[in-house]
Amino acid sequence: MSSLSVLLKGKIGNLFLNFEHHFKNNGITILYGPNGSGKTTIISALGGFINNLETKIFFNGNALHDIDKYPPNQRPFGIMFQNPILFEHLSVEENLDFVIKRNQLKTQNKNLISKEYLIYQLELNSLLKRLPENLSGGEKLRVVLARTILKQSNYLLLDEPMSDLDIKYKAKLLVFLKDFNKKFKIPILYITHSIEEISQIGDQIVLIKDGKKIDSGSVSNVLNRSSFVDLTGKFESSSILEGIVSRHDQKLHMTTLDLNGQKLIVPGLPGNLNDIVRVRIRSRDILLSSSRINTQITENELQGLISSIEIENDTAFSELVILLKNSKNNIKKQKLRVRITTYNLRNCKLLINNNVFIYISSVSIDRQAYQSK
Amino acid sequence: MDIYHHLSSDFIAILITLKLAIVTCFFLALIGTPLAYFLAFKSKKTKPFIETMVTLPLVLPPTVIGFYLIIFFSPEAVLGKIFIILTGEQLIFSFYGLVLASIIYSLPFWVQPLQASFEKIGRDTIRTSYSLGAGPLDTFFNVIIPLCKRGFFTSLIISFAHTLGEFGIVLMVGGGIHGKTKVIAISIYDHVEQLSFSKAHILAGGMLILSFIILLILFYFNKRTVVRVK
Repeated sequence: MSSLSVLLKGKIGNLFLNFEHHFKNNGITILYGPNGSGKTTIISALGGFINNLETKIFFNGNALHDIDKYPPNQRPFGIMFQNPILFEHLSVEENLDFVIKRNQLKTQNKNLISKEYLIYQLELNSLLKRLPENLSGGEKLRVVLARTILKQSNYLLLDEPMSDLDIKYKAKLLVFLKDFNKKFKIPILYITHSIEEISQIGDQIVLIKDGKKIDSGSVSNVLNRSSFVDLTGKFESSSILEGIVSRHDQKLHMTTLDLNGQKLIVPGLPGNLNDIVRVRIRSRDILLSSSRINTQITENELQGLISSIEIENDTAFSELVILLKNSKNNIKKQKLRVRITTYNLRNCKLLINNNVFIYISSVSIDRQAYQSK
Repeated sequence: MDIYHHLSSDFIAILITLKLAIVTCFFLALIGTPLAYFLAFKSKKTKPFIETMVTLPLVLPPTVIGFYLIIFFSPEAVLGKIFIILTGEQLIFSFYGLVLASIIYSLPFWVQPLQASFEKIGRDTIRTSYSLGAGPLDTFFNVIIPLCKRGFFTSLIISFAHTLGEFGIVLMVGGGIHGKTKVIAISIYDHVEQLSFSKAHILAGGMLILSFIILLILFYFNKRTVVRVK
């Protein structure tokens, strides 16, 4: 098991960095924050490429900030930089061999990730003989990811690895990463701007703004906090719900989740029966009604209680927090953020402590990237 | 020199010129390459100063460089003295004086294309290589050199061609001594001065064709490289 703690202090460009965090030694940790908040600087510092900051990095008890003892080429991280580079003079396969050749010694005494496994998983077989200049952006990215993983490092640092990818392949790669993380137990630090990616693969999340950590914790907790909403802006506000898989419909590719007694139907076949699956629902994708709608309009009808209403005086919108009904009284009620127009709020006569019916279309639900078995 | 005595004086000048160009390029590779690397990646505050020093020979009249080199090379000066102690020979009017002068004069022609080529592959490539476990030397020989092949090729060709064609400095520092420091450019000058145009024609035409071929090779194989040297 690896443990990583980081302290960074000092001025770099216009940014005053004062960041301290002890990273979890398993799962996928998301580093999230606006552009220029210092995310990439943290990865550069971990890689040993920044020497004008006060740095303390401890990894498995080793003081990595000692740059003479741990120069960049002897750091235990697999790093995928923001603008990933393949060596243009080497073919795809030679690029992979480049890292294998230089990390052979340490791979003898540990769980080896084989080149063949990655070639298969990332569909690189037809690319092996090609030169990087003949690859598309997405293909390049997969090769770089494979090369990064083949370093057989103890911690992966991925700086916006999916930013250049088309949606179809992104979903596949997210599933691969999540699966890889579980299978090989190699922790991943993952920088991204995409809330979809966070909710799909993140376990832990660290929020950073202006060089400072403003919050951290599990994704399901932090994404429901105001600290996160402050960063994303209200328009992107969303809620994370957790449910237990109670039924898979193999034919229609739908999964029924049990949210403390209420049913939520989500697309796809995430997890196995009785697994806990996390879903994300954007606040603006939810409809509310004070009475039950008797015609079927969406897959999902939930019930809850309005616990707060915040009317934004300078915009058209209001934000409500709803506590979902809970038939198992011993469990904490799950919260749902809802964004509707103030106009709608008034017309529907929604008030604090009212019971409401909640309508959610399954199409608008993001689910965690889980390998369906 | 003895080995040359049965050869025609023009042929000797050709041999000396080629020898000068080859030896100069050898030393330029040793000195100019780290300098180009330093300018591309390492230096920050000192960069404009060093770049100015390296580029000066491009803009100065050869006579100005030649004048200062004569002063530094003279047996009374420190450099000249050290050379005499080391080799027992004078630096001025010697072949190695010529080599030293050529290195200085051709330095920008080696450094600039290579520096541009290093800058083009960029810091990120080097960081990537380090992060994959390759050390600085490993990275230099297995990543940077193969990626900068064109840059090296350009530097080599341009420096070689430029050294072949020097006149002013070579004349001042070397004195045009037959069999020792007299290169093609000086032979042509001498022929013209003595009005033996037919001999001048052969050498001048030869230089023209050789330079044309060298540059043609460069631009043929290096279509995509932008040559920054003026």
